[in-house]
Amino acid sequence: MEIKINGKKYAASEGETVLDVCRRENIPVPTLCQHGKLKREAVCRLCLVEIGGKLVTSCTTKVSNGLEIITESEKIKKAREINLELLWSDHAGKCISCKKNRQCEFQKLAEEYKIENFHFVPRRVEITSDEELNLVRDNWARVVVDEENPVIARTTEYCVECRRCINICPVKSYGFNHRGGASVVGTAYNEPLDCIFCGACVKHCPTAALTDQGDLENIVKDLDNMNILAVAVIDPAVLESIGNEFPGVDSKEKLASLLRELGFEKVFDSGWGYEKYVEALEQEIHPRRWLFQKNKNNKHQLIISSFCPSAELYIRKYFPELSGHIAKTLRPEELMAAAVKNEYARQEKIDSGNIRTVLISACTARKKLKSSTLDCIITVRELGRLVRLKKYNPKNIKEVQADKFLNGYDEKYEKMTRFGNLSEILKSDLAIQKANGVLEIKKVLEDIQKRELECDFLEVMVCPEGCGNGGGQSMKISNF
Amino acid sequence: MQNSTKIITQHWNDINPLKIEDYLNVGGYKALHRFVKKMSPRQAIEEIKKSGLCGRGGAGYPTGQKLEMVGVSGATEKYFICNLDESEPGTYKDRMLVDYDPHLLIEGVIIVALSVGAYKAYIYINGNYKKQKDILEIALAQAREKNFWGAGILGSEYDLEIEIFSGAGAYICGEETALINSIEGNRGEPKLRPPYPTDAGLFGKPTAVNNAETIANIPWIISQGGEKYAKIGAACSPGTKLYILGGTVKNPGVVEAPTGITIRELIYDFGGGLPEGKDFWFAQIGGASGKLVVENELDIPLTFSRDCPIPLGSGAVLVVDKSVDIHDLILSWTGFFRRESCGKCVPCREGTFRLDEIAGRLKDGKISDRDKQAVYDILWTLNNTTFCPLGKFAATAFSDAISKLKILGD
Repeated sequence: MEIKINGKKYAASEGETVLDVCRRENIPVPTLCQHGKLKREAVCRLCLVEIGGKLVTSCTTKVSNGLEIITESEKIKKAREINLELLWSDHAGKCISCKKNRQCEFQKLAEEYKIENFHFVPRRVEITSDEELNLVRDNWARVVVDEENPVIARTTEYCVECRRCINICPVKSYGFNHRGGASVVGTAYNEPLDCIFCGACVKHCPTAALTDQGDLENIVKDLDNMNILAVAVIDPAVLESIGNEFPGVDSKEKLASLLRELGFEKVFDSGWGYEKYVEALEQEIHPRRWLFQKNKNNKHQLIISSFCPSAELYIRKYFPELSGHIAKTLRPEELMAAAVKNEYARQEKIDSGNIRTVLISACTARKKLKSSTLDCIITVRELGRLVRLKKYNPKNIKEVQADKFLNGYDEKYEKMTRFGNLSEILKSDLAIQKANGVLEIKKVLEDIQKRELECDFLEVMVCPEGCGNGGGQSMKISNF
Repeated sequence: MQNSTKIITQHWNDINPLKIEDYLNVGGYKALHRFVKKMSPRQAIEEIKKSGLCGRGGAGYPTGQKLEMVGVSGATEKYFICNLDESEPGTYKDRMLVDYDPHLLIEGVIIVALSVGAYKAYIYINGNYKKQKDILEIALAQAREKNFWGAGILGSEYDLEIEIFSGAGAYICGEETALINSIEGNRGEPKLRPPYPTDAGLFGKPTAVNNAETIANIPWIISQGGEKYAKIGAACSPGTKLYILGGTVKNPGVVEAPTGITIRELIYDFGGGLPEGKDFWFAQIGGASGKLVVENELDIPLTFSRDCPIPLGSGAVLVVDKSVDIHDLILSWTGFFRRESCGKCVPCREGTFRLDEIAGRLKDGKISDRDKQAVYDILWTLNNTTFCPLGKFAATAFSDAISKLKILGD
C-alpha cells in the first residue's frame, strides 16, 4: 500500500505502524517509551503525529492505504514540548552529577526540544514558604531509592515511567505502584529488588532510574595509586557494544590500549581462564557420566552449565530441585582472578594485597561474583563512565596487545569468549542441549523434570542471544 | 412535577428489595419468561436495537449495536459485564437502583447475557458499595433458587453463571478496558484500542460491557417492545434517564425523566428550584468531568447525541449558587483527578498533578502569569494528547470555569 508522510509518498505494508515507516525512512519522530520489539505502551505521548487534524500516537497507529500523515506542525511541536516539559519538571534534573549524563535519552530530547521554561515549577518569589514546603514534600514523597543489592541501583527520582523495564524483565520483577502523580515503578510490596540480575532493565532504561551498582570511585583511587597493581581482565563480549560508548574503539587491541591509558598496569584477556574452565568442566562431567552409565537404566547424567550466573540464580530460585545439577566449577573470571592473586603474584613477586583485579564484563549478574580474589566487576556502561570521569578522550587510540598471562592465550576460545558458546568446545560425544532466554530455559527445565528431555550437558544463558547481547552491554541511544 | 413515564423507578419504594416475591408480584421476571419462551437471542437484540437505547454510562454508544457485535461473533466463549463501578462525584443513581430494585438489574443482566450468548456474566461493583454488594448477593441467591439463572434456566437449554466482582473503588475502572484489566487481575488502567472489547475483551474473548442503568431498561424493552420505548423522550437517544440533582436545590435526589428534558425543567420542576435567598450561578452536568452551564444555556435539551452541546454524562446535575467559593470547587475537581488518574500516560499523570498544585496556589484568587500560562498548556495537552478520555474529562470543568466564569480574567 501507499501512504503519504508530509506530502511525500512512501510504500508501506499491512501491519506496520506509522512509526515503523518513519523509522525506516529516516523521518525523525521522537519517542521515549517505545523500544525495539517491546510492547508498544503509547504512554510517553511524544511520538504524536497529525492525521486528519487529530493528534495520534504514531507508535500504535497502523497504516492503511492512502493514509496522510504530518509529522511536524505547530500543534505537534506544542504537544511534544508541553509533555516533555511536564516530564522534565518531575525529573531530578541533576544532569552534571548523574551517572547517565550524555548517555540519557531524556536529556537528549530535552535538548532537542529546548526545554528551558520550567513554568510548571513556580519560582520562589511566586509562592509562600508554606507552599514551597508542601511542593517539596509532595515531590519527594514518592521517590523510592533501592541500593540494597550488589548489581542494580534504583532511584525513581530519575524515572520517566516509560515501562520498558516492566516489559523487558524476564521474571516480572517490576510493576506500577500507587496511581496518578504518585505512581512509581517498583517491586511488589516495595521490597528490595531480588531478581536474577540479568541487567536487561538497566540496559533499556532511558534515564538513570536504573543503573549499575558499583564503586567506580574506589577504582579511580586504585588506578591513581602507584602502590597498587591494577589488573584488568577483559571479557571479550564487551567488544560487541564498546563502540556505542567510544566510537572508534572496535578491537581488543584498542580496548587494551584504552585500559592502559586509564591506568591499568596489566591488561589480560580471559582466554587462559576459559581454557581452565573448560578443562575443569570436562573433568566434572566425564567421570560422573562414566559412573552413571554403568547403571544400564540411565542413559544420561545431567550437568547444567554454571557459566551464566543469572541462569544459576534463576534455577536456584524457580527450579530448586534441579540446583544440585549445576556445575561446581568456578567461572573463567573467578579462575583467572584467583590465578592473578596466587600464581601470578608469586611469579612476579608482588604482594597479593597490592593487586586489584577488575573484570570488564558484558554481564551485570557477574557483579555477584565479587570476592577476595575478584575485587571488582564493571560493565561496558561503567567503563564508559570511568573514561568520562577520568576525562580521557579515546579518539585516535592506537592498538596494543594484551599482556601475556601465564601460558598465554588460546585462539580456540575466541568464539566462546565472545558469545559464551560452550557447547561447540566441549567434547562432541556428549548429548548437549542449549537454551537461551528465560522462556526457553523454563521450557527445557520443565521438559527435563517431566523426563521428556534427557541430556548430559545443558547450557543455559539468560540473555536472549548470549553474552553478546548481555545485560551489561551499552545501548546506542537513539530516539529519533 | 411532570407526570412522566417511569421505567426504572416505577416500583421504587413499593417493593421490599430483599424479597423476590415483591418483585414477582409487580410483574418481575416476566420479561425473562418472555425472552426464554418466545424469543431468540437475535430477536431480543433486534428489539433492543429498535428501542434506540444507548449507553447510560456517559458515552451514549447504541446498546443494540454493541450487543449485536458480541452476539454475532462465532466465539464459543463470550462474556457479559454489568458496569456498576459508579464513581463519578455526585453520582449515585446505580447505587439507588440496587438499593431499591435489585431484581430489575439482575433480570436485565440475565436477558442481555443470554442474548449475546455469554455463559458467564460479571457484575463489576465499586469497592465502596459494600451494602449494595450484600443486597445483590441476597437477590442473586433468591433468583438462583427460582432457577432464573444457573443451569437450564426456566427449563430451557440456557446456562448462565453470574459473579459479583468487587473493584477497589478506582474511578478509572469505570472505563471498560480498565474494568476488564481489573477483573483479569491486572492493574486498573485502560488498554490500547483496537482491539475493542467486543472483539477481544475479558480474557481475550468477545465481551459486552454495559452500564447498570442501561441494563435496567432491558426488561421493559423486552416486555413492552422496542418501538414503544423509542417513542419516549428525545428521538436521537430515546428513553428515560436517571438524573441526580444535587447542590443548591430544594429537593435533591435521584429522579427519572425522559431524555431531551431541559436543564431548567430539571432544576425548577423536579428539583423545586433554589432555596430562598440563593442566586443561581451555574450548574455542572455529569459530575466532576462535566461541563458548566450558565443561565442562558439552561434551555438546552439534554440528550446523548453528539450534537448536544452539553454532554449528559452520568446525569448528575450540580447546582451552584453565587455564595459558593469557586476555588474550593476547582480544588475538589483537580484533587479528584489527581487522585484518580491511573498514572499511565505522561500528560494525565503529570498534568493533573501540576494542575492541582496550581489550583492550590490559585486558592486566594491570585495567580502569576507563569502559572496562568501553565494552566492553559496543561488543559490543552490534557484535551489533545492523553491515552484515554479521562484526560479530557479532567480538563473540561476547569476549561469551562476559565471560559464561562472568567476565573483567570478575560
